[in-house]
Amino acid sequence: MLETIAQAVINGLLIGGIYALVSIGVTLIFGVVKIVNFAQGEFVMIGMYISFFLATQLGVDPIVSLLVTMPVLFCVGMLVQHFLIRRVLGLNDLPQIFLTFALSLLVLNLALMLLTANYRTVHTWYSDEALHFAGLYVPVAKLAAFVLAMVLSALLWVFLHTTDLGKAMRAASQNRDVAQLMGINPNRVFAVALGIALALAGAAGSLLMPFYPAYPMVGQVFVLMAFVAVVLGTLGNVVGALVASLLMGVAESLGIQFVGADSGLIVVFAMLLLTLAVRPSGLAGGRRR
Amino acid sequence: MRLKRLGGIALASVIALMLLLPLAVTSSFALDILIRVLLFSFIGTAWNLLGGYARQLSLGHAAFFGLGAYTSTLLQIDFGISPWIGMVAGGVVALAASLPIGWLCFRLRGPYFTIATIATAQVLMLIFLKFRDFAWGAEGTTIPNLGHAPLMMQFDGKAYYYYIALGLLALALAVTARIERSRVGYYLVAIGEDEDAAEAIGVNVPKVKRDIYMISAFLTALAGTFYTQYIYFIDPQTAFNFNVSIEAALVSIVGGVGTLWGPVIGTVLLETTSALLQSWLGNSVGGVQLTVYSLILMAVILWRPTGIMGFLTEWRARRAKAPPALAKAQA
Amino acid sequence: MKKPEGRPAPSPRRRDLLKAAGGVLATAAFGAVPLRGYAADPVNIGALYPVTGSMAQIGVGCVAAAKLAVEMVNEAGGIKSLGGAKLNLVLSDVQSDTTVTRTETDRLITSNKLSAIHGCFASALTLIASEVCERAKVPIITGSSSDQLNKGRSFTFTPFARASQFAQAQLQMSKLISEKPKVAVIFENTAFGTATSNGLKEQAPGEGVEIVMFEPYSAGFTDASPLINKVKASGANALFSVSYLNDLILIVRTVKQVGLNIAINGGSGGFVIPDFYKNVGKLAEGLQGVAHWNHDMSDEAQKVNAEYKKRTGEFLFEYAGGLVAQTFMLADALERAASTDPVKVRDALLKLDIASGYAAMAPGGKVKFGEGGKNVYGRPIGVQWQNGDLASVFPKEDARAALIKS
Repeated sequence: MLETIAQAVINGLLIGGIYALVSIGVTLIFGVVKIVNFAQGEFVMIGMYISFFLATQLGVDPIVSLLVTMPVLFCVGMLVQHFLIRRVLGLNDLPQIFLTFALSLLVLNLALMLLTANYRTVHTWYSDEALHFAGLYVPVAKLAAFVLAMVLSALLWVFLHTTDLGKAMRAASQNRDVAQLMGINPNRVFAVALGIALALAGAAGSLLMPFYPAYPMVGQVFVLMAFVAVVLGTLGNVVGALVASLLMGVAESLGIQFVGADSGLIVVFAMLLLTLAVRPSGLAGGRRR
Repeated sequence: MRLKRLGGIALASVIALMLLLPLAVTSSFALDILIRVLLFSFIGTAWNLLGGYARQLSLGHAAFFGLGAYTSTLLQIDFGISPWIGMVAGGVVALAASLPIGWLCFRLRGPYFTIATIATAQVLMLIFLKFRDFAWGAEGTTIPNLGHAPLMMQFDGKAYYYYIALGLLALALAVTARIERSRVGYYLVAIGEDEDAAEAIGVNVPKVKRDIYMISAFLTALAGTFYTQYIYFIDPQTAFNFNVSIEAALVSIVGGVGTLWGPVIGTVLLETTSALLQSWLGNSVGGVQLTVYSLILMAVILWRPTGIMGFLTEWRARRAKAPPALAKAQA
Repeated sequence: MKKPEGRPAPSPRRRDLLKAAGGVLATAAFGAVPLRGYAADPVNIGALYPVTGSMAQIGVGCVAAAKLAVEMVNEAGGIKSLGGAKLNLVLSDVQSDTTVTRTETDRLITSNKLSAIHGCFASALTLIASEVCERAKVPIITGSSSDQLNKGRSFTFTPFARASQFAQAQLQMSKLISEKPKVAVIFENTAFGTATSNGLKEQAPGEGVEIVMFEPYSAGFTDASPLINKVKASGANALFSVSYLNDLILIVRTVKQVGLNIAINGGSGGFVIPDFYKNVGKLAEGLQGVAHWNHDMSDEAQKVNAEYKKRTGEFLFEYAGGLVAQTFMLADALERAASTDPVKVRDALLKLDIASGYAAMAPGGKVKFGEGGKNVYGRPIGVQWQNGDLASVFPKEDARAALIKS
């Protein structure tokens, strides 16, 4: 029994790492730009496809392809900020919500049109391998993904707290007007925030490829988890999103284990709705909205 | 003044046209498109009450659509009750459901309200997928073939469905027009513009939101029943389909949120585009429809967030040669 | 959150051209056969398959087979009792979506003079198409295994095994590997999974098989680890997975990862298509499944397989092969009905009774429709992945290769 629980926790943590990469991006954008990026999942999907093509055409290992997907998606993020997001800043909810929503629909359906709905998988030498110890097993591909996800999150944290640009981002996220008064250029900060968020999404995509198939709708699954994690972890709070993601991964895993294999999502939603009912501002509390 | 009379005549002729259309159009395919247009105009108009006027942007209306669909189907198959009654019952169920759902979701603002509504529709779908014992679970069920049975909302010709859809749309438009002109209408717009300010000037915001959510839910559920009777089938994925939520919002935004005719115009535009795309590109490439829809949505948001109705209003104001400030205020 | 959607396309205006072409062809090819005094109009057969969406991989193969089948019928002379009329395939993509299926079936029937329809393979989609066909009084023939299709219908025909039969076969096969099979059943939580798994649950006691785990899972899940974890904890020595392709890939790979030594019977669906092998490679070797049709069943089946392989590069899998047989069954019915009227075709199908030729390509080699449109001889075959191809291994009468025990 203990073994089963331990294994469930391990499984949950590992996938939670991926959820973290996606949700940190969402919460970062929300914290800094005050916009919910409904299209975050689609950028994970793009990251996956880039890795897929690099792997099948050039034989590049998906994890190594991080070095490509992250910069590419960083640039995409900056472009999205410049051409789209900038236009709806300061407007009310409707354009802000539906712009990224439309973007999500657009990217997903373009992928459907151009790449077809077929599932694409990449099979690496470590895709089916696992470490075995004490009656438990840890899949290698997922472990690598988890470790890298934590590394990236740590790097982000360092960036936000030690570099000038990072501090500027945090300042803008706390109080945009004062930040502007202090000479921080909001558009530049936003562009970097978008860039980083999408780069993380791309990273998530690359890390997923060894053990998960790429198909146009794949982003939807992850973005849903990301949103729940962001609300749970308090909107705008990067560490909160990370912790919440891991918690959710574990909750989902335990839910599947002990409630029912089709109940993973219900458990997660139950967590969301419970949080909304009891503590709408999330676990870290205190922040408005 | 002249414009108003023209508008009245135009309206009357459109109504006459709509009533006589099935006599002229006999192609089953064309009727199907018309029914779709009417149905989504209806769903969009229902959504518009909450999402357009009060700007509570729900993307979870499929929850009510599905509740309506399942209520009437359960009553019909388990108890032999006519879907006409089941339709109203479904509306009541949805209305009742909107209370706890609203209580939960209205705790959040803006995009997080939207996410919460998406989540509720998903949760309902998951519940209906899981519990096979009371509602057929994932397999769903077909509506028993009764041939031509008007009392059980089954007909052997599309024209009947057309008239029902038309009736539903008329109902929603009438409700919307009535609300628009009433005090509640003002409250809704006030809430839509700035919720806190509305509260500050004395509007009972929670009550108004709750009431309009109930009406919106009730109407949406009627559509669910109709649709199930039309396609003879129900399962959780069809009943609680996210697409329904999307299209409800989409047609209203493109047509013009917070306006009476916005959703109708939006539906006509989007469905016409859809039909044209079909005839040019055929059916074999998935994703084309939504790609185009999303491009249209983006265009509207970036360049004309007030939608087509907003564009028309501005155009008319400019034609009336009103001073620029007044024209802007009317838009 | 899924987002497929779609709209129907208007019908092609090729009928006039086809009429002329058909007339010329008929006259030229069958000068010796006494014509009935009219140019032989082609016979329209509707085909509804999901070529886009989540079930696209199977759908695409089905469409290729449908075209091949029609060509075969036409090359053999078409429908002789109708003056050598050729079959005209009217295809439609149902986009793996229930609403689209409804509209498309409707559109196909009303825009074309259809004599019959075959299609859908996926249970949920076929149920809807069947409803529309019943009301429009057009016969539909399908490989879908849903037992619901045989209830209260008079225009729906199912020549192949039913879900309940699949379940029975699966259970019997588990006894091939172990004396006391302890089976863990996992199934995707939509129509296909729930129908088949229910059959398993009901029949297990009768077959002497113990089910130690019975779990639905969310189709399209991200992670099979918790599920496989549960399977491991249940102490099962056989795993029945009722899943579509994508989930199966995840499941099979996870079982390997967990290091779980368990016999997997993947049932039908995504398990018995070439794409499965393409994605999991050697992991598929030795895995068992159940299919309603396999290409090594008979000489005719092998011939069709060879032709299909030439065209698509892959072996002919169950749904695709099944529908070739169905096309020939329709041709047989048309031949006897000597009419394109769908009701007469339906009546002819009711009297279908064949034991040879392409129309009889079914396990057991015989097709005859009984109550509820079921084939009284219908039964599934147990298959096993051997060297990248599917070999029929069960029951003994249908086995074409020995079962490899791992």
